[in-house]
Amino acid sequence: MIAELPLDLRAKPSWRRVKSQIMIGLMVAAVGLVLVPLISVMWSVASRGAGVAFHGFPAFFTDEIPVISRSEGPGMGPAILGTLMCTLGATLIAVPLGILGAVYLHEYGGKRKFAKLVRFMATVMTGVPSIVMGLFVYVTWTLRFGYSAFGGSLALACLMLPVVIASTEQMLRLVPPHLREASYALGATKSRTILTIVLPAALPGIVSGSLLAVARAAGETAPLLFALGLGATSYNAHFFTQINTALSQQIFVNATSSFAGAQERAWGAALTLVMLTFIFTIVARLFTARIGRKK
Amino acid sequence: MISLRGTTQRADATFRVVAIIAAAMVLVILGLVALTMTVRARPVLSEMGLEFFTSRRWSPADSKFGALPFLWGTLYTASIATVLAVPVSLGVALFITQIAPPWLKKPLVYVTDLLAVVPSVVFGLWGILVVADKLGGRSFLTAGVILAIMIIPIITSLAREVMETTPASDKEAALALGATRWEMITATVLPHSKGGLVGAVMLGLGRAMGETIAAALVIGSALGQITVYPLASGNSMPAVIANEWGEADELHKSALIALAVLLFVITIVVNLIATSIVQRSMKRSGGTA
Amino acid sequence: MNRTVLLAVAVLTLAACGGKKGDAGGGGGGGGGGNVTLNASGSTFQKAYEEVAITKFKDGKVNYGAGGSGKGRQDLADQVVDFAGADSAYKDAELPKNKGGEVLYFPILLGPITLAYNLDGVDKLNLSAATIAKIFERDIKKWNDPAIVADNPDAKLPDTDIVVAHRSDGSGTTDNFTKYLVKAAGDAWKLKSGSTVEWPADTQAGNGNGGVAQLVKTTKGSIGYVDLSDAKASGLHYASVKNQAGKFIEPSSASASAAGDGIEVAPNLLFSALDAKGDGAYPITYQSWVIVYAKQTDKAKGTALKSYVKFLVTDGQGELAKLDFAPLPKSLQDKAVAQLDKIQVP
Repeated sequence: MIAELPLDLRAKPSWRRVKSQIMIGLMVAAVGLVLVPLISVMWSVASRGAGVAFHGFPAFFTDEIPVISRSEGPGMGPAILGTLMCTLGATLIAVPLGILGAVYLHEYGGKRKFAKLVRFMATVMTGVPSIVMGLFVYVTWTLRFGYSAFGGSLALACLMLPVVIASTEQMLRLVPPHLREASYALGATKSRTILTIVLPAALPGIVSGSLLAVARAAGETAPLLFALGLGATSYNAHFFTQINTALSQQIFVNATSSFAGAQERAWGAALTLVMLTFIFTIVARLFTARIGRKK
Repeated sequence: MISLRGTTQRADATFRVVAIIAAAMVLVILGLVALTMTVRARPVLSEMGLEFFTSRRWSPADSKFGALPFLWGTLYTASIATVLAVPVSLGVALFITQIAPPWLKKPLVYVTDLLAVVPSVVFGLWGILVVADKLGGRSFLTAGVILAIMIIPIITSLAREVMETTPASDKEAALALGATRWEMITATVLPHSKGGLVGAVMLGLGRAMGETIAAALVIGSALGQITVYPLASGNSMPAVIANEWGEADELHKSALIALAVLLFVITIVVNLIATSIVQRSMKRSGGTA
Repeated sequence: MNRTVLLAVAVLTLAACGGKKGDAGGGGGGGGGGNVTLNASGSTFQKAYEEVAITKFKDGKVNYGAGGSGKGRQDLADQVVDFAGADSAYKDAELPKNKGGEVLYFPILLGPITLAYNLDGVDKLNLSAATIAKIFERDIKKWNDPAIVADNPDAKLPDTDIVVAHRSDGSGTTDNFTKYLVKAAGDAWKLKSGSTVEWPADTQAGNGNGGVAQLVKTTKGSIGYVDLSDAKASGLHYASVKNQAGKFIEPSSASASAAGDGIEVAPNLLFSALDAKGDGAYPITYQSWVIVYAKQTDKAKGTALKSYVKFLVTDGQGELAKLDFAPLPKSLQDKAVAQLDKIQVP
């Protein structure tokens, strides 16, 4: 295969070496280019958000959102609660469904046409824009039952589901077949085997994959715009009723505000959200590391 | 540890059915999305007919809705984003897989994945308050740049996976014949990964088209703007839906849902093509599909 | 492991459904007294006043979601909210769609629409109606255009492109701004008037008065129409506009009040303060109403609503000057208070 390819090994060695070094240099530049926005975003969020987020700790995390939007000062408590409620709700819906779905695909489905279709569609589903899911939930849920955190959870669950299925299936594949075979040999049924042998064996990976999906869901904005409603500034712990708010939504709304205080709160909320998603991601990585160590 | 008592045949069969239903949820949800949204989009389509897709005029007050400028904005910004992101992503992926010493690989992977963890709304906030100033305001270009930053981790991680499957024997053979690093890459890694890379780029493109919030904040929300001047402010399908939804009446909402359906169809098509390309290329090269 | 997880999940779910300990239904928020929650939406012009009123209102809790006058009217028509804030009235054709029947308009404030701009080195700017019209139609594209220079002989106007900012949502501010241009700019203004207008393609849009204010604040060379309260609180420069008497008047609470003298009020308390006569009147002064259904269906809500509207037109008026609005002229205020009796509570 190599002999057919246009490698001109007769050309002067020094130019070829220089060319190679230039290209490698460009690759390094690419890496640098990736680091620039990353550092800039982190720096902006940290420097602009830390002031309002930590001044008078824990005011920013527990105070209500100021009703007077042009006022300065802290308060994102209700948004933090809203983010946690919507994310938790979405997790409770999407993770069990996703795990069961992946169980079907890997343990029962195999090469069947139905399984192939589901697998393919799940991958396609990861590419559906979040705003489409948000509108879908609006049309099917919000219109009938009004604004609520549950609507937000539904939308986020739709986004999480394919990701959980894909990562869980990957983990199930890594469980050695001899574990299953030993279990059948001892007389256990298939469902028993899956529940008591296979899933526990794949658990760290499943948790890791689910946490990454949760991290993505926590940061989503578009679906929540259509499910939570506008104007909430105080705590609303009612899951199924009444308007609510979330960190991502607050950031969006305050990003287009002209008042310095509101913009500050947006940065503070961004800092909180980034810290939240980072915690999820780091915990997910710890679980992945555990799998590595076990092997 | 294993209880051999209990679980009857029925329980076993029930579990299987439950699992099947769970898997079917994917199809059910996708199907419902397509169905309910299309039904809701009908009013505006019967009102405007095919003109919906060809008219430039978007005037809720007069009940005239033309999707063309938003279609243009979506495609244009996604193209800018892809053009900017692809060289960077490929460069990073090549560096990580072919050039970087082993101790550097993991940290670099972590760093590029960090970019994927940052929520899109935070990118939007950073874009509107920090970046837009430096790029000449809110425009197609600013939106394209922010989108590019957001899709780089997607393309990079997939490109990495594909490149890793290049047979080591091929690479070593090229080097043994006297090829420089770069020549080895062009001779073995790139031809081998071609399919997968195309798929990766298309997935990035699909993601850029569907990105709502970051685009909504920095694109400028102009109406009727169809131009290739990158510094012009414009609009895109997801951006206009997010911005105008709040105060839309029934027909206006129907129009916005129609835009969402259009977006849904386009992104699904792009993702379908990309997924099949990637899966086929992975199978051929023996990677994990 | 499974059992503990299930138990934890069950406990969490019950806790979430039951509500946070110590929180009354409807949340803490501004009002300490009653348990009633009123929902409202609409005009961003009156948002600043609503926010202050909400923190001072003790007979219940009010949520005001500012999505634009158009949305407010729509939400009230669909009965998704208890009252609407709007800077312009329902069109006659829209009235039959109001599910709750007859509506009452309560004026609550007056205020100027400013032409806010962002131009280095230019702290004072004079604009006349025809010039404003041409800028927003993109007939005038640069800051040093002869028409602008003619009204500002002393200013150092640079050769920069003008970036035009307007509203993307259905806006009473847009409605009043364009009505003013129709009246005062005559043939120079071709885009007619309305809550949404077909602006030229090379202009930018923001959501709400706040969105336009932010656009102007962050974009060099830009100009947009923003209510004074938001413009001032955002630290923007704004222009003095030529009124009917030929004088360039700076927008302020006082010049808005001057425009409010001598307005003609219809029996249903609709009126317009645009393009007022009078030497000291700011020509682009407009107004905002709270719209409610005359026939209330819920006793608790109806009572709270009546009390809230009363606050807005009586005690609340003292807060307006601080926020750079103008209070209602006395005769108008009396009429508004009298109209309160028309709200029928079961």
